[in-house]
Amino acid sequence: MNCDEVEDILGAYALDALPGEFSADVTAHLATCSKHPEAAELRAVAGALAFAAPEAQPSAALKTRLLEALREESEPADAAPRRIGILGWLKPPVRQRAVPYALAGALVIALIALVITNVGGSDEPRRAAISLSGENNAGAVVYELEDGIIVLDAEGLKPLDTAQTYQLWSIASGKPSSLGLIGTAPNGEALAVVRADLNAIESLAVTIEPAGGSIAPTTDPVLEGKV
Amino acid sequence: MSPDLIDPSERNTHREDGDLADGLRRRDPLAMEILYERLGRQAFGLAYRILGDGPSAEDAVQEALLTVWRQADRIDAARGRLNSFVLTLVHHKAIDALRVKRGQQARQISVDFAEVEKVGADFSERVLQSIASGEVRAALTRLPEEQRRPIEMAYYEGLTHLEIAAALDLPLGTVKSRLRLGLEKLRVALRAGSGDELRRS
Repeated sequence: MNCDEVEDILGAYALDALPGEFSADVTAHLATCSKHPEAAELRAVAGALAFAAPEAQPSAALKTRLLEALREESEPADAAPRRIGILGWLKPPVRQRAVPYALAGALVIALIALVITNVGGSDEPRRAAISLSGENNAGAVVYELEDGIIVLDAEGLKPLDTAQTYQLWSIASGKPSSLGLIGTAPNGEALAVVRADLNAIESLAVTIEPAGGSIAPTTDPVLEGKV
Repeated sequence: MSPDLIDPSERNTHREDGDLADGLRRRDPLAMEILYERLGRQAFGLAYRILGDGPSAEDAVQEALLTVWRQADRIDAARGRLNSFVLTLVHHKAIDALRVKRGQQARQISVDFAEVEKVGADFSERVLQSIASGEVRAALTRLPEEQRRPIEMAYYEGLTHLEIAAALDLPLGTVKSRLRLGLEKLRVALRAGSGDELRRS
């Protein structure tokens, strides 16, 4: 395949719209020829078409299935919930049981600031952290990990039987909306990552619901806190 | 509202994804949850646009994310490239599934992170900024129908240029040039859309 032939089908190549053997020929040519600088850009433009499709909400079951599939692929030794997860790679492990949650929240802010500062510059810590509290030393810290994505880091949640689940709610204008179900480790700790716009939320709450979750809370919150 | 909250316009949406890549490499399911929450709706939207039914679209998203999980050792990237990698995988899985549905052979194009990474990093960054402003959708909409349609048939329907020519009853040469011209126009539009007002120095 020569340069003219490559130029002739470069648009189709960028869109993966060539039969396999032609596509391989073009790839081989581009690997050794510097006369087609626009090839990479056209491929990048074609790739950007992914963002032209309208966003859509998958079923809540997809996330559950995905996480189950990950667990099946992991070594048995990795199968146990690892508390160190987010603490290990996202922020240094500093959680201590004696630290009150308000203070723990401040620590989290400082640590996230460290992480962000290391990457992005010397900005002040500005990501919000919210404390949730409940009875019997149950509590949680919620913080914004990146735009629109929050992490709930909870402990002291009593184990539930399989007929029940914890569910996280956001409350705006007095109206609760489900943010998703929360799985707990046997020691009562839980980590959950969910999508939520903290700018539009007044408070967060965790309730116990029948397995599979509810459309609206059916019990009083076991954890709650104002944003 | 807490004064701690950062104004959305000031948020740094282009920071490196070292933490997330690190978490994926450590096979921490939480890193995958974060990635899922970030890109799940865009990924599902893309797969749904291609496949037209929810269950198949969810399968494509799941397969793509499992591939990310398996290839995590090779991920070491800026955010834009990690996002592009995931969506490229979703696109390929969805197109493969669509072709199987149509009774055609899946093309099984392998997607390698290194390949995504080397696709004009500088340009990708500019494209990413366009994406933040919704430019891609707008730019595609502004293309003349005769260029937009073949591009959509290639990208969302997984058709080859020969199949597009047959479906539209056009000479192959016309399809080739319309694909090329349409992409060139998108490139110009995305460059224009990523102007100084969006650029962070």
